Amino acid sequence: MEAAGQMKIIVGIKQEIRASAVAAVLVLSNSALAAVQPESGLGLPRDASQNGHLVDWLMNITSVFNIILFTIMCVWMGWACLKHNRNHPAEYDPGSSKHSVTIALAVSAFIFAIVDGNLFVNSINDLDREYWNFEKVAANPKTVRLEINAHQWAWDARYAGPDGKFNTEDDIVTWNEIKVPVGAPIYVELTSTDVIHSFYLPNFRAKMDAIPGQVNRFWFQAKETGDYDIGCAQHCGTHHYKMKALLSVVSPEEYKTWAAEASALAKRAFDPEDTAAHWGWDWKEL
Amino acid sequence: MHAEAHPAGVHPEPTSFLRRYIFSTDHKVIAKQFLWAGLVFLAVGGSLAMMIRWQWAFPGRPVPLFGIFLSRSGGVITPATYQSIFTMHGLIMIFFAITPVMIGCFGNFTIPLMIGAQDMAFPKLNMLSFWTFVISLILITASFFVQLGTAAAGWTTYAPLSTQIGTPGAGQTLVVAAIFVTGAATIMGAINYVTTVIRLRSPGMTYMRMPLTVWGLWLTAILNVLFVPVLGAAALLLFLDRVFGTQFFIAGAAGVKGGGDPILFQHLFWIFGHPEVYILILPAWGFISDIIPFFARKPAYWYRGSVFAMVAVTVLSAVVYGHHMFLTGMNPLLGKGFMTLTLIISIPAEILFLNWLHTLWKGSNRFPSPMLFALGTVFVFGLGGLTGLYLGTIATDLYLHDTMWVVGHFHLTMAAAAFLGSFAAIYFWFPKMFGRRMNEGLAKLHFWTSAVFITLVFCGQLVAGYAGQQRRLYDPYQYTFLSHLLPLNRWTSYFAFALGISQFVFVYNFLSSLVAGEKAEQNPWQVGTLEWTLCPSPPPHYNYATPPVVIRGPHEFANPDVIKALGRDWIGQTEPMPKVAAAAIKPAAGGAKD
Amino acid sequence: MTAMGEVLPYRPPRAREETTAFLGMVVFLGSWAMMFAALFFAYGFVRTRSVAWPPPDLPGLPWETPAINTLVLAASSAAIQYGLRVIRQGASPKLGRALLLTVLLGAVFLALQVSVWTRLYVEGLRPETGGAYGSVFWGLTCFHALHVLVGLIGVGLLTRRAFAGAFSAAKYLPVRLWALYWHFVGAVWALMFVLVFLL
Ligand code: HEA
Ligand code: HEA
Ligand code: CUA
Ligand SMILES: [Cu+2]
Repeated sequence: MEAAGQMKIIVGIKQEIRASAVAAVLVLSNSALAAVQPESGLGLPRDASQNGHLVDWLMNITSVFNIILFTIMCVWMGWACLKHNRNHPAEYDPGSSKHSVTIALAVSAFIFAIVDGNLFVNSINDLDREYWNFEKVAANPKTVRLEINAHQWAWDARYAGPDGKFNTEDDIVTWNEIKVPVGAPIYVELTSTDVIHSFYLPNFRAKMDAIPGQVNRFWFQAKETGDYDIGCAQHCGTHHYKMKALLSVVSPEEYKTWAAEASALAKRAFDPEDTAAHWGWDWKEL
Repeated sequence: MHAEAHPAGVHPEPTSFLRRYIFSTDHKVIAKQFLWAGLVFLAVGGSLAMMIRWQWAFPGRPVPLFGIFLSRSGGVITPATYQSIFTMHGLIMIFFAITPVMIGCFGNFTIPLMIGAQDMAFPKLNMLSFWTFVISLILITASFFVQLGTAAAGWTTYAPLSTQIGTPGAGQTLVVAAIFVTGAATIMGAINYVTTVIRLRSPGMTYMRMPLTVWGLWLTAILNVLFVPVLGAAALLLFLDRVFGTQFFIAGAAGVKGGGDPILFQHLFWIFGHPEVYILILPAWGFISDIIPFFARKPAYWYRGSVFAMVAVTVLSAVVYGHHMFLTGMNPLLGKGFMTLTLIISIPAEILFLNWLHTLWKGSNRFPSPMLFALGTVFVFGLGGLTGLYLGTIATDLYLHDTMWVVGHFHLTMAAAAFLGSFAAIYFWFPKMFGRRMNEGLAKLHFWTSAVFITLVFCGQLVAGYAGQQRRLYDPYQYTFLSHLLPLNRWTSYFAFALGISQFVFVYNFLSSLVAGEKAEQNPWQVGTLEWTLCPSPPPHYNYATPPVVIRGPHEFANPDVIKALGRDWIGQTEPMPKVAAAAIKPAAGGAKD
Repeated sequence: MTAMGEVLPYRPPRAREETTAFLGMVVFLGSWAMMFAALFFAYGFVRTRSVAWPPPDLPGLPWETPAINTLVLAASSAAIQYGLRVIRQGASPKLGRALLLTVLLGAVFLALQVSVWTRLYVEGLRPETGGAYGSVFWGLTCFHALHVLVGLIGVGLLTRRAFAGAFSAAKYLPVRLWALYWHFVGAVWALMFVLVFLL
């Protein structure tokens, strides 16, 4: 009987995929034209976000510190190995004297204060001012709100439409493509219907888990138009590697016209019977 | 002479082959059993790693050699197989390769010998521990041959992917069972280690005179005793979900009646999982903290500092697990708390580091293979530890989480540091274990190839992660933003293959030395710990006929009085200071004044 | 043993041996306590996150029978403790009877548990349909019952040896160890009674 229960679940998921597929066909005629520019070199993917540089800076400054530390360490080790070899008489020093202990503690405290201290302070600031500062985003009139539903192995996105309410008939529902205006904060709430996924925007240094039974949120803001990869970062089954989608950042005008058309289309295509397609939820503003 | 004396309460040495080599209760025999099991599965896990690397170097091309295992798909790795490969690679390496070698083998071998005990506190439990472990090995092996293949939900086994919803089939169930069973085996061993160190230290072997190896392994055992049961609970509940259809971890659309919570599994897993990663490094820290002074011919620098640092890490490791869950939408305050604690762990790590470096400094360093591997461990652990800082910081983890950066980080810390640390121990104690020497030339060759390639491989992973490549991708190049990484990954793979091949140097050296290696004398390394100074190689049944009376710490090197009196730079832990200079004894290493 | 004369006794005297064994048992139970702690953590976690506990259409958990069961286990713990007292005075048969009582009470506990399970099962609380609520109930109680069963077997064997006069005032370590285990199982139940059945 337990197997039967599982079957129901599987079927449920199947319907979901079909339903969203339908929605997609309706809304996304132009996705064919989309083209993501490949990256080059071994560095970070290019930064298309308004606040990603904070992460980049923090990583790179830490790398500078660490390289210095590690070089000191290696030179120290190498020097000791070469100079103080078998021909060098070992010094009888248990290193437990007050003096040497204070030195060890002082050095560690110093390294900690610089490297970890810098990481800590900047991380807290970045989180409070940017990445976890949802008040700012909620207050901004330009903010675009998005609901994302992840499932094996695709991303459904839902826009509130003109009425500004989710799960109504004028919602725009897209499949594996998300269109956002440049320069406006995109406030995303996301969940999953099967297993855990993770919504990943490499070019925006943004990532958030999509977890069944719970709604997570994050936000990002594009600083230039273009097409970008959306990835899944959490292992979610056989086709995890294929669970990619397209983020196309367009000018506010283009976005407006697209949104108008799309929601009109959606209204016409709205099918009250197809409950699986109504996966949206009331926006959980704080 | 030791053999025929059976002191009170201990039984005579068994004579039948079965009791002597198979169902033995002798800690030294059990140690060797764990070593064999561990090395064989290290080979299995390594082979799986080679397949991962092949897939990333030549996506979708038939795998040479290992292709025969993939006959159904014509030697090609399919997406479904791929997830099983990395899942089992991770699980096998952690639970069935490194753990048995470091803890099962060297925990068993060194603890009683180094504290002057005749055996573990509970020899029968010790034997039971190994055979329970064998059961888990059988379960793991069986899981490869069932329908739908073996586990595929990643070594972290996150629910609901790991429930019937995500991975139907008996394979995942068998693996979950295997984890529970191996957990039971680990706990039995750990109970033994903890009790043995507390109760069976020989007279004078105070805590502050214990070799750091014993400290590392003892703290490891304490962590095992406390946190493996939590993994057990997680595995148990997952097993119930899979077999009896309970709903502990199933929520959302799939959940009946509200259902359970997938995040619950992550909490349980990481409450165990983070201590586990220190379980995998503490023994290595212990080994190298002894080996470095041994071959620097110099007292361990600030012995107590190293002890306190290891204790501090042990304590802290219990309260930082949340750093694996920064992106699960955890309460921001909680997240910042975990971040703070995580960063604090780098202090004890730095203290250990400084102690190692200071020990080398002004030493009289020699570089036989154990020393080389110890230094290699220091090097890669430095890299691994420092890369952990980016992950402990939430802002940067937003980008790096679940990328190859994480993979590079933990390979440098455990696949490199714990891996090289284990080899340091193998090369160091091989003469005591088997009574023969390993070929030094081959050992050095094994070191240089391993150390160089392991660094290249795992730094390659770091670079891929910095460029944004996610983990666990069957074909990363599906993504436009990763398509340019093929050459990088291909080079990383070449280095990985070189690393894999260089391990055969070890295999050959190990096996040939077993049968044909030159006989080892009692104390080839000229060091002062009990097993080298008081036991022949290999040690007799019950190690010591009479309890060694310890009078000083384990690293008493370069003591001028000793040199004057004995004409050598070391003195045993039980060796009385010869009259000549007894007058002017200075405080020795490791606070021998206790 | 005869050849022993010369070498001074290496293994410590029995008293020390016993403390070691006792410590081992304590460490083991400490470890097992962590496992139950984790299970209770799981329970608290799903419960605090659930909308309705119990879900409207599912039967609530009874408290009467479990309450009786708590007393039953308490009594059996007292019995084995009494057994320890008497064996310290070397009264082996008395110990046998005390252990027998322990086993019987343990059996009563299991019987009552079975009655609770069957009742809830027919009332519709099933592992596979009860959601987190059913999962917690079935998972925790069954896992605990398993420990009681192990205790029964262990103490049962002790009982046989006790009647055979295997224990004396000088030698009763197994009784000590099993008593400790039995108290542990009882304590876990008491906690489970309060957290799962009362709250
Ligand atoms: C042996 C194993 C081991 C060790 C020792 C460590 C050590 C550390 N780890 Fe690591 N970690 C893992 C194994 C390990 N880790 C594994 C397996 C995972 C991934 C699991 C998975 O998701 O699959 C992981 C993942 C992981 C994460 C989660 C990443 C994510 O998923 O997003 C984080 C985040 O904080 C982290 C942090 C740290 C930190 C801060 C340390 C610190 O202890 C590091 C401290 C050390 C140093 C700071 C370096 C030493 C100091 C110096 C070199 C300076 C000395 C120089 C001079 C004195 C001159 N680790
Ligand atoms: C201690 C643990 C450990 C060790 C040693 C290793 C060793 C290696 N790992 Fe592993 N790895 C993990 C733990 C480990 N790994 C974990 C936990 C994961 C995550 C899994 C997941 O995502 O769920 C992972 C994932 C992982 C990935 C990412 C997969 C993915 O995300 O898709 C990759 C890719 O490069 C990789 C590569 C390697 C390589 C090249 C080695 C090389 O170092 C291997 C070299 C070793 C050998 C070739 C063996 C040699 C054999 C012997 C010496 C035995 C001698 C035999 C006898 C005497 C009989 N590993
Ligand atoms: Cu969805 Cu990975
Ligand atoms: Cu961790």
